[in-house]
Amino acid sequence: MAAANAAPTLDSLAGAAALDEDIPRVLKLEGVASLEDLGWSRPNRLTLLVPMKGVRAGNTDAFLLRLGFHAYRRWPPSAQFVNPQTQAYAYPQDQHHVPVLCSPECHTHTAYPRPPGTIQLVCCSATLEFYEVQHSVESCHRWRETNTFFTTITAIRKAFTSHYQGRFSAHGR
Amino acid sequence: MDQKVTTNSEPLGKAVEDLERAEAHLKSARAEEAVAEREVAEAIDEIREAERDLVTVHVVHVNEVQRTAFKEKRSATLQQVWDEGYLKLEIPRNPKDVFQTAGEHPKSLMSHLNLTLEQALKQGVIDDYRFGIASETGGA
Repeated sequence: MAAANAAPTLDSLAGAAALDEDIPRVLKLEGVASLEDLGWSRPNRLTLLVPMKGVRAGNTDAFLLRLGFHAYRRWPPSAQFVNPQTQAYAYPQDQHHVPVLCSPECHTHTAYPRPPGTIQLVCCSATLEFYEVQHSVESCHRWRETNTFFTTITAIRKAFTSHYQGRFSAHGR
Repeated sequence: MDQKVTTNSEPLGKAVEDLERAEAHLKSARAEEAVAEREVAEAIDEIREAERDLVTVHVVHVNEVQRTAFKEKRSATLQQVWDEGYLKLEIPRNPKDVFQTAGEHPKSLMSHLNLTLEQALKQGVIDDYRFGIASETGGA
């Protein structure tokens, strides 16, 4: 289990190996043969790109979630909503690529303080950044090494289903 | 002529008697067969009737990356489906587990656990019989 107030440690080799292991398990669970069948992609050994959708007032908004596995599976994957063109997030110009999620289990911030600057925070105990900012967490919610990135995706999807409030406004508007 | 055969030929008379006895047995056997066929048809009807009340539910355990499928009565509550899911998956219940719909748009079913499958479908609480078990996360 992710230790309380401990800073995540990076181990890219272990992260890539764990991702290699977990992808087939998740594909089997989803009943598909490849990441492409799900619309997902793995641009490099430590990254998964997962399209997500939010529906509000009959309108569907598309987002791209980038999961990073450099501390996985001891720690959850990093989770950032990114600009689909650059597959990166730069504040404030990319903030409109972030959905407003206000679930008690998953809440998004476009610029959460992390000295010396800010980061995008998908505030959920199944994301790496949650532990990087040393967010308070009940022990029952802490990440367990038996969890997989599917836990992270499902938690965020669930917030989209019931607590999606549109996208953050574009910078300067 | 029949009378002549009966009276004048004993072997032939015996053969006729045997034939009559056999015909009686055949009649009886056909009657029994008809009863048996009716019973089979009734049993098939009963099975179909029972099957009409059953649906296949699919349950995935998100954290353990496991799935199962099993038959359940439409009259079973979501709570019963959730409970049965643990048994079929052979995974212990975590106190912070949540029962939810599966797929791309999971939503919590924790406020609807007393609804039957039939009611939940009719009320639009669920769209199908695919469910998920996931441990609650924290974050705000």
